[in-house]
Amino acid sequence: MEKMRRNKKLLAWIDERFPLSAFWKKHVSEYYAPRNFNFWYYFGSFSLLVLLNQIVTGIWLAMEYTPVADQAFSSVEHIMRDVRYGWLLRYLHSVGASAFFVVIYLHMYRGLMYGSYKKPRELLWLIGMLLYISLLAEAFTGYTLPWGQMSFWAAEVITSFASAIPWVGKTLVIWLRGDYNVSGVTLHRFFSLHVIAIPLILLGLVFLHLVALHHVGSNNPDGIEIKVKKNRQGIPVDGIAFHPYYTVKDMMGVAVFLLICAFIIFFMPGMDGYFLEPDNFIPANPMQTPDHISPVWYMTPFYAILRAVPNKFLGLLVMAGAIAIMFCLPWLDRSPVRSIRYKGAWSKIAIVIFVISFIGLGSLGIQTVSPLRTGLARLFAVLYFAFFLLMPFYTKYEKTKPVPERLTG
Amino acid sequence: MKKYFLLLLFLFVPVISWADEPQVALEKANISPYDTASIKRGAKFFATVCMACHALVYMRYDEIAKEAGITYDKMNFTVKYFGILPPDLSLITRWRSPDWVYTYLHSFYIDATRPTGFNNLVYPNSVMPNFLAPFQGQQVLATDKTRYMFVGMPQWYDLLVLQQQGSMTPQQFDATITDVVNFLAYAAEPYRVDQIRLGYWVIGFFIVFFFFAWRLKREYWKDIKKRFHTED
Repeated sequence: MEKMRRNKKLLAWIDERFPLSAFWKKHVSEYYAPRNFNFWYYFGSFSLLVLLNQIVTGIWLAMEYTPVADQAFSSVEHIMRDVRYGWLLRYLHSVGASAFFVVIYLHMYRGLMYGSYKKPRELLWLIGMLLYISLLAEAFTGYTLPWGQMSFWAAEVITSFASAIPWVGKTLVIWLRGDYNVSGVTLHRFFSLHVIAIPLILLGLVFLHLVALHHVGSNNPDGIEIKVKKNRQGIPVDGIAFHPYYTVKDMMGVAVFLLICAFIIFFMPGMDGYFLEPDNFIPANPMQTPDHISPVWYMTPFYAILRAVPNKFLGLLVMAGAIAIMFCLPWLDRSPVRSIRYKGAWSKIAIVIFVISFIGLGSLGIQTVSPLRTGLARLFAVLYFAFFLLMPFYTKYEKTKPVPERLTG
Repeated sequence: MKKYFLLLLFLFVPVISWADEPQVALEKANISPYDTASIKRGAKFFATVCMACHALVYMRYDEIAKEAGITYDKMNFTVKYFGILPPDLSLITRWRSPDWVYTYLHSFYIDATRPTGFNNLVYPNSVMPNFLAPFQGQQVLATDKTRYMFVGMPQWYDLLVLQQQGSMTPQQFDATITDVVNFLAYAAEPYRVDQIRLGYWVIGFFIVFFFFAWRLKREYWKDIKKRFHTED
């Protein structure tokens, strides 16, 4: 009793100087979320958890890692062998990187299905897209750091894309690399970007993403606005407090998510060459090109699009376009309804084709080039763009189903 | 219609294919990070035979190295033979896989066209001299691999025949190579045993944690279900 009173006094002392209770109420205990969140609504919290994991393990890895060309590879092996639980830190970080993209892709796909990018959530979507691009940059710079063969050659190939830009290309590549080739200078600056610059941007964008989310409120599988129907206290009738209802639900989800992650970390950290590529267990050798260079799985859909275009500069433009077009989503979708549940048949067919072509591109991007595979990649690339570019038409003219007034299920 | 059917077929084209594929199927190496005796035997053989050329620069000096006589100098010993630096083997099982190394070491055969007098099925035109011949003996390519073109990959022992036995019987040789691969897997991942042990604990923890989180969630969500009369 005495202790509780003392805690209350302390809280009152803080609240007088800092809006702690008000903040907690506004963003957690009295933040009302739709009551019908399903499986797809776990991935936002999961990505926050993975971000935390990457930051914490990254801090400890940076204590032992050496960003110098002739020591980087052996410093990673030093972490794996000599540092206490160093192997665990490293696997948490490397599996975490892939897990980050798994949850982010599912999170984005959720937005796509339930129209979470539509008015008034356009900025929420745009901030999310900026987050995605920053994450790609973070993953790319991080992948270079172990300084294995694949680190080196992926950096060499990906930075060389810039050379396809007319006039300034050559200069731009040297500016990116800080050298005429990828070298220790490149490694050192990528380290700086990976541990300072991009994480700062990521954290800033996550903050903005959450501010935007809590301003407009969460969307839901029905894609209807719960704020329309409020009770006498001004609380949405279909809304439930984020805490405790979604905190306990997310905790349950986190248990399953971490169970799967733990299985990978402890029993198959390389994930059969998908999370850690076998070629990256040879130190970087600028004199010897590996037989087959491919980026890590999460970048391969775009890599496949790049390779599908015969002209290098055009390929670069099309690849950039494939990402840029996702920014336009809020304005391409002209459907009167948000959720795929109430959209017409065309939208449903389109989203299935989109998923097939995205996964198809991803698996083609991992493989070596052959005439058949290039043909397939072109087909999938066309379907990928068709999904977006035809969206204004099929969403506008298809027959939608009537939307319920209250949340279902 | 036919076009769609073809398209559908292509979707099932195997997803992965690696660039430099061996000519034979990889035989599974029967190794275990728990078999310390095997790792120690492998270390001893490796120290006496393989370390004449190969280094283990990333290996740490531990009990197993000490017992096998693998000194710090030996781990870092490198020398070029005929202008070629024999590869460091401390991460070979992670680059190639234990099964690759196991099959590779089994599949040398006599080939007069090669400067070393031997060729290899797993890594064709390998420049490594067959230092295992005194132990294994000499194998010859008896069966043409084109016979297996349509019935999947042959195993090394489908194609090679032991012409003249060396100082070991085939069983002894196989056991020795298994030990060496087990040692190399240990040299690449000395933390494997810790990793597996901790893995079971962590997974066990999350199963228990899930159970409590699930009951807690159900308890809290009772009022939600009551309020909205919904199932789950």
